Amino acid sequence: MARFAVRRLAGMVLVLFAISVIVFLIFNVIPNSDPAQRIAGKNATPQLVANVTEEWGFDEPLPGQYLTTMKLIFTGQLVSYSSQLNVDEQIWEGVPATLSLCIGAAVLWMSFGILFGYLSAVKAGRLTDRALTVLALVGISMPVFWLAAILLYYLTFKVQLFPSGGYVPLTENPLDWAYHLVLPWITLAVLFVGFYSRVLRSNMLDAMNEDYVRTARAKGLGERRVRVRHVLRNSLIPIVTLFGLDFGAVVGGGAILVESIFNLGGVGQYAAESIANLDLPPIMAVTLFGAFFVVLFNTLVDIAYAYLDPRIRLGTSAQ
Amino acid sequence: MNGTGEKLLEVRDLQVGFATEGGLVQAVDGVSFELAAGEVLAIVGESGSGKSVTAQTVIGLTRSVNSRIEGSVRLRGEELIDAPEAELQKVRGDEVAMVFQDPMTSFNPVYRVGDQIVEAIRAHRRMSDAEARGLAVEMLRSVEIPDPERRVDSYPHEFSGGMRQRAMIAMALALEPSVLIADEPTTALDVTIQAQILALLGRLNRERELATILITHDLGVVAEIADRVLVMHGGRIVERGTLDEVFYSPKDPYTRSLLGAMIRLDQPPPLDPPRTHGPLLEVTDLVKHFPIKRGVLIDREVDRVRAVDGVSFTVERGETLGLVGESGSGKSTLSRTVLQLLEPTSGSIRFEGREIAGLSRREMRPLRREMQMVFQDPYASLNPRKRVGQIVGDPLRLQGEASGAELRGRVQELLGKVGLSPEHYDRYPHEFSGGQRQRIGIARALALRPKLIVADEPVSALDVSIQAQIVELLDDLQEEFGLTYVFVAHDIGVVRHVSDRIAVMYKGEIVEEGPADQVCERPSHPYTEALLAAVPIPDPREARARRQTVGA
Repeated sequence: MARFAVRRLAGMVLVLFAISVIVFLIFNVIPNSDPAQRIAGKNATPQLVANVTEEWGFDEPLPGQYLTTMKLIFTGQLVSYSSQLNVDEQIWEGVPATLSLCIGAAVLWMSFGILFGYLSAVKAGRLTDRALTVLALVGISMPVFWLAAILLYYLTFKVQLFPSGGYVPLTENPLDWAYHLVLPWITLAVLFVGFYSRVLRSNMLDAMNEDYVRTARAKGLGERRVRVRHVLRNSLIPIVTLFGLDFGAVVGGGAILVESIFNLGGVGQYAAESIANLDLPPIMAVTLFGAFFVVLFNTLVDIAYAYLDPRIRLGTSAQ
Repeated sequence: MNGTGEKLLEVRDLQVGFATEGGLVQAVDGVSFELAAGEVLAIVGESGSGKSVTAQTVIGLTRSVNSRIEGSVRLRGEELIDAPEAELQKVRGDEVAMVFQDPMTSFNPVYRVGDQIVEAIRAHRRMSDAEARGLAVEMLRSVEIPDPERRVDSYPHEFSGGMRQRAMIAMALALEPSVLIADEPTTALDVTIQAQILALLGRLNRERELATILITHDLGVVAEIADRVLVMHGGRIVERGTLDEVFYSPKDPYTRSLLGAMIRLDQPPPLDPPRTHGPLLEVTDLVKHFPIKRGVLIDREVDRVRAVDGVSFTVERGETLGLVGESGSGKSTLSRTVLQLLEPTSGSIRFEGREIAGLSRREMRPLRREMQMVFQDPYASLNPRKRVGQIVGDPLRLQGEASGAELRGRVQELLGKVGLSPEHYDRYPHEFSGGQRQRIGIARALALRPKLIVADEPVSALDVSIQAQIVELLDDLQEEFGLTYVFVAHDIGVVRHVSDRIAVMYKGEIVEEGPADQVCERPSHPYTEALLAAVPIPDPREARARRQTVGA
């Protein structure tokens, strides 16, 4: 098990290295125009462009350029030339809001996804299942920006129940923190609830036909215990994969729409603003940041898998 | 092991139907029987005869929205058929326990074996975790699992098939049920393991006065341990009686055909004259190893699985070589390596005198038409989204042999040769029975008029009566097309029936090879002897005689 974890973590380092090279190539090499010009921003003076060329080492050969770029990003010296702000600091400032949004939404979407999926599977074909199916499809089909707009219009503008946006740090006022995040949480979670409940439903319906479920019934276990310990437990394994991928993506700044609409000031919103300004240094850094979380959570999923399914724990591969 | 009289279970006029899109399917139609303490009752029938449904209905496992169940099932006089679910749960696992066919899939893979036994115990008894665990260890010991204190913490995938079935029996018997329902308990196991499990069931039945319902399609298994027999066909009981009555004076024509269809090890087939026209396939020192890799960051080869470890044999033109062995003996790997579906580690394979080991895929391509394969599982080896005509015609099309109307004509001719009809051309595989599907697989293999056909367990997934038909078909086709067969199987009875010569595989090597009769009558290797001794003989008197000489 420990060996398995070490292998996966080592693999993760390799993947991150590959991603950093790809990011470097996409931003600095492939566009085939002066990278300094693009990095310096829209209204750069010739002097600034010259400084950027110097600082980023664009007169060196490619491996040197790559090292300089990574040094800038990882030592916290990356600066947006449009706003003169330090990029790494900006990202770190956005992290609490992004994490608050993602963790809260994840708790919601996992709880309701599993609850609805379980109910749907247990009541398969009956009214509850049909109603939940329709709900799930509605949830999956609703665009985030539309749902956010509708919630804002009815719940903050018409019935002033919730604040219209903004983020209050947890350390400042926990109640206010949660109060400000209720609508973003719901908005972000709805899509995932629909999707996860559908996946879980079909996994569970497959698992119900497994021989070991029949064995569990033949042992005289109660129906609920059979469903939870034998059907649900085994059906959750693929859900964990999905969760790892999705959670990594939203933590890495993937919740751009929700963060921007509710003005949370998180990493995603920072990414959106930088893209709007064609401000390359932050875009580059956020891309790496996002990739890091996607890879990290993928790795954690692999390790969790070995815990959830003992057959994976072997650590040997016979081909 | 005869029943001691006390009537435990009484089933009266049981009817089980399932509502499907095509209407109500009556799976069990008016079944009645009784079971006394200490008795072994065998329910025999082919797939779809309703035997499993009958047994599962006894403890309400077939209850669902779509099932229609009528009749009466009384356990010690208490009616179970309309008992509330909570009552049934008390009976299941405690009074009536069940053992299922496939020990590979009948344990939940994510929990330890011991925990699953503990779960069964604690569902019925007020017992601490530690006490239940102690009982689980005792039960594993009583079914002869070595080192039970340690193995109780193993996961199911760490057990072999035979051990899993022992553990399953341990779980079923932990609460000392009075009735055990064993649904094809040995079908998924090798013969030598089957013999051990049957001996174990026999011992438990004697020691614990356990009433057992044994569901099986294998009359050999029945002859080994049953007291009374029910024969089911199409949801009805067509024959009932003591073991000897059913075997020696069967009244129903279906029972007679079932007994007649058995391919028996102890009844040699009429000998064909040997057909030797020089060697077609010569295999010398063939080796196929699979590396086992392990490492923290970089995989190193730490060991290798010696699946095929220096095997030599020759197959003459027009003859059938039977390749027998148990699971893991390397027989499937050998047959795949011979056809170059797996790359050999070393050794030589000569086909019509030409070396084919190490040929590239492209060089093999023209040779593929000469050598074809028939697979074990007629359900899994046909693409469910292709029509029969496509499946059978694809080899012809791919090799550029025929197209259009000619292709259709040739495929329809082939379908006729294997006993299907030309109208089957446009059907899909799921519309056929297992035996018919295997015929489709044979037609596909025949399409290019190959010289050599390697058949890997071609009949082991089929019902007994169908097995005989497919074996006969293979025999006729050999005659007609001058085919050479390598017939791979675990069932030495079937192999003896079709083979001119038999090679016995054990742990990657051929331990014995010779004419079929010689290998079966006068085996020279101890493993062959063990294999032959483990085969259940579908004849109660002989089975009894054999048990006495072995001293069981």
